[in-house]
Amino acid sequence: MHTRTKYILVTSFFAVAWVASIAGGFAVFVRYDSKPGAVGAVPRNWPDLRLERAQNRPTLVMVVHPRCPCTRASIGELAQIMARQQGKLCAYVLFIKPSKSDTDWDETPLWRSAKKIPGVTVLSDVDEMAANRLGAETSGHTFLFAADGRLLFSGGITESRGHAGDNAGGSAILSLVNNNRADRNQTFVFGCALADRPVPEQPSKRPQ
Amino acid sequence: MKTATDHDFSSPRADELFDQHRYQTYLRTDRLFGRLMIVQWVAGIAAAVFIAPRTWVGQTSHVHIHVWGAIFIGAAISAFPLWMIRTAPGSAVTRYVVAAAQMLMSALLIDLTGGRIETHFHVFGSLVILSFYRDWRVLVPATIVVGLDHFIRGVYWPYSVYGVLTASPWRSLEHAGWVVFEDIFLVISCLRSVREMRSIANRTAALEASEQNFRQIFEEAPIGMAVVGLDEHFNRTNAAFREMIGYSEEELAERTPLDVTYPGDLALSKELVQALLNGAARSCIEKRYVRKNGEVLWATRTGCVIRDETGQPQHFLIMVEDISDRKAAEEALSENKLELEAALKENELIMDNSLDVICTVDEGGRFLTINAACIQLWGYTPDELIGRPYIDMVHPEDRAKTEEVAQNIRLSGHVTDFVNRYVRKDGAIVDVLWAATWSEADKKHFCVAHDMTERARIEKALREAKEEADRANRAKSEFLSRMSHELRTPLNAILGFGQLLEKQSPTETHRTRVRHIIVAGRHLLDLINEILDISRIEAGRLQLSLEPVCVADAIREAVELMRPLATERETKLSAPARPDEDIYVMADRQRFKQVLLNLLTNAVKYTPNEGEVTISFETAGDKNTRIVITDTGPGIPSEKMSRLFTPFDRLGAEQSKVEGTGLGLALSQRLLHAMHGSIGVDSTPGQGSTFWVELPCAKSPLECIASRNGNAAGQTHISGGERTILYIEDNLSNLTLVEQILADQPQVTLITAMQGRLALDLARQHVPDLILLDLHLPDMPGWEVLSELQRDDVTRDIPVVIISADATSRQIQRLRAAGARAYLTKPIDVGEFFRVIEATGVRNGNGEFAAGRSENTRLLQS
Repeated sequence: MHTRTKYILVTSFFAVAWVASIAGGFAVFVRYDSKPGAVGAVPRNWPDLRLERAQNRPTLVMVVHPRCPCTRASIGELAQIMARQQGKLCAYVLFIKPSKSDTDWDETPLWRSAKKIPGVTVLSDVDEMAANRLGAETSGHTFLFAADGRLLFSGGITESRGHAGDNAGGSAILSLVNNNRADRNQTFVFGCALADRPVPEQPSKRPQ
Repeated sequence: MKTATDHDFSSPRADELFDQHRYQTYLRTDRLFGRLMIVQWVAGIAAAVFIAPRTWVGQTSHVHIHVWGAIFIGAAISAFPLWMIRTAPGSAVTRYVVAAAQMLMSALLIDLTGGRIETHFHVFGSLVILSFYRDWRVLVPATIVVGLDHFIRGVYWPYSVYGVLTASPWRSLEHAGWVVFEDIFLVISCLRSVREMRSIANRTAALEASEQNFRQIFEEAPIGMAVVGLDEHFNRTNAAFREMIGYSEEELAERTPLDVTYPGDLALSKELVQALLNGAARSCIEKRYVRKNGEVLWATRTGCVIRDETGQPQHFLIMVEDISDRKAAEEALSENKLELEAALKENELIMDNSLDVICTVDEGGRFLTINAACIQLWGYTPDELIGRPYIDMVHPEDRAKTEEVAQNIRLSGHVTDFVNRYVRKDGAIVDVLWAATWSEADKKHFCVAHDMTERARIEKALREAKEEADRANRAKSEFLSRMSHELRTPLNAILGFGQLLEKQSPTETHRTRVRHIIVAGRHLLDLINEILDISRIEAGRLQLSLEPVCVADAIREAVELMRPLATERETKLSAPARPDEDIYVMADRQRFKQVLLNLLTNAVKYTPNEGEVTISFETAGDKNTRIVITDTGPGIPSEKMSRLFTPFDRLGAEQSKVEGTGLGLALSQRLLHAMHGSIGVDSTPGQGSTFWVELPCAKSPLECIASRNGNAAGQTHISGGERTILYIEDNLSNLTLVEQILADQPQVTLITAMQGRLALDLARQHVPDLILLDLHLPDMPGWEVLSELQRDDVTRDIPVVIISADATSRQIQRLRAAGARAYLTKPIDVGEFFRVIEATGVRNGNGEFAAGRSENTRLLQS
């Protein structure tokens, strides 16, 4: 076979393989990023979280795995929400902390980022007590309770794992805070699992 | 109006340069993206590890899928473009693959960074870097990939992709617009870059052509050119310079201009180099170089400094022109100028000091330039002469011929030896000899003249003196002739009667007294004869008959004549026992014998009794024969040698008993000179003297006849009947010759006589048919014999043919008047001899000679 022809064939094969591998790789990426996390039994009203709920404004609670890289986007989105709704919202970020974990378990960049957000109180949730009561099983799960304790919103505030930017969850929270209503009150949560437990069956359809 | 653009200067070379540059750009950008791909791949992995190293489930963690994705998808994205860059660098496919891969890399990074909006700048940065290709087409696949990526992402994450919650169609359009907006500028930038590349290629091509032209001009320039670095070494030289200096380019590269500069010009060269460095625009000097072969070369060196745009000197450019020929010409011109100035000065001096007139005259005959002699000649001042027509000063009687000559000069160009008279300012008349040349180019006469007045006076005086001298000479000759006759006549009586008295004297006393009278008379006769001979020689009137003379015969006869005297004085007289009979000299026989007798007489007379005198001869070289006479006499003191040949100077011998006139040696010397010979003497006082005589060698008469007859076919016999011929000749060789010539003519009877008087007697006795007469006879001249024959009735009609060696027209005329019938010149031409005999020696039937006077005259004229 002629060398040039051979080269063309090899190159063509290489090109096809190249396209296929890239397409496959990105497909895996999309699938992974688009897969929402598990959600537990979410209460309809403010549970006993040993937290002081604001009486004159909504209270936001985000449960975070301190080492989940995907939650950095959620913290970023929270900062956006808090910046836009200064004073209108009381916010808590609860970093789960196993009681048997090291003392610096939750002293992560994520913790420091959350602490820097004005109006946000960062607390450790030892052994996931609060998380369990809120039904949070995926890092970044955010809850919005009305001043009267009613659950206004539950879900993630990113569009996929680790993807910053405008998202439906964030928009719903802002709408609820400002207008007391939103076109949705649930979204998927994208993040690491807070605890190693069997993942329940996830809805195939995005929550409205 | 169409204007020139870079494209107008496009050329194949420009296209080639453009393609090369563009290809190099492609390659360079390919390599850039090759490295960038790897860097991005590593950066992607690093970003993934940094941002999301692990994914957690409670307290359990795993490597985050982004890390694996960064590794493998990044590798997949980079692998193919790297392959293409390696295997097909510079190709369009490679660029397109690179463009697509780069945008995919952007997508990956965006993914890895969680879709951060900042990461989207990677897209814009990638498009900018892709524009490094300067090929706007690579933006097409890149834009397509970006579009597809965003489309797909928009499907999955419309919010994150477009950054706002509300997904609006205009947002997509805005995003696309930003990309297209950048694409537009990048496309413009690419097109502009391409135009600039084209422009650069065109300029580079033009520059190359210009450089090539410059190199060609530099290399082929007829003058020497060299580029010299600031380190003063030759960087580049052209052929003319190398040929001029004689070094090769490699040799010059190791040298500086100062290395090839003549030592005497080094300081000047350094000074001018420094002046150039100090800012002088250029320097031009004439200096000398030393060629490789050591020759010195004169050249004009022009130098300048080539500076960069900041004004810093870069190198020197020098131009060298060989002016050796011009220098040589200048030197020659300078020398010529000096020579010319010297010549002008000399001419000026010559003109000023010349006694002759030197002047120039224009067409109108007016003086243009004059010298001092002109003033002297005509007596006018220079102001009076310059511009004055010379004809004004010409003697009125000479003006016509002067003007005629002046006209002729124009035709012939020159005139010489023209004499005319001029009237000086003081009225005196001067004779002037002219030589003049007419120059048509200068329209002037160049004249030289000499004042002939004094010369004419001297010539006149000389002429008169000569005439006076001639008159005196004639008077002397007349006197000598008369004296000769007058002295000879009484001497004849004295000697004749003296001899009678001697015979008739009764007593010895009387006879002794008479003998003294006879001796004195003979001495007086010899004296007269010798004085007459010297007088003839000095007057140039001595007649010689030069003919081949046998030296042995002449010596033999002289010795025989001298032997009685030698015997009387008891002197031994020796001559060669067997002399060489074949040696001849060209001489007058009688005068030759006279010289020999003089020398032998002196030798015998001055040699004491019982002395010895020897005579011998030999050839001296190829042309002369030397006769040597040696005696054992007292010799001659050296101080007296110079007086030896002075007439009447006997060197003190007049005080002795030896008799003599003091004329013998003087006469001998003059005779020998007249015969083209010479005489000399070697003497040692107390031992004797040796006199020698040299005369030109000659062929024998027989050899002359043989050579003549061998060369010319002439008459070989005499026709007619018997005849008798009387040949009167004192030279035995000539007699023998004629005898042999006539030996084959049996009808001819030859009678010979060696003396004139004997011949007259024989002529009267035999009345021969023809007489052959030699003019030089021992007892009387031949012409006297002729006269006697003419006077005698018996012999008057006998034709006489003169045979002599001296045939001058004057003598022939004289002999014709005396009655000679014909004239034959020695050496004898046999054919002519026979013809003359046949024509002259014939009698008619009455026994009378047929030819009369008229025939006689005809033969003589012939």
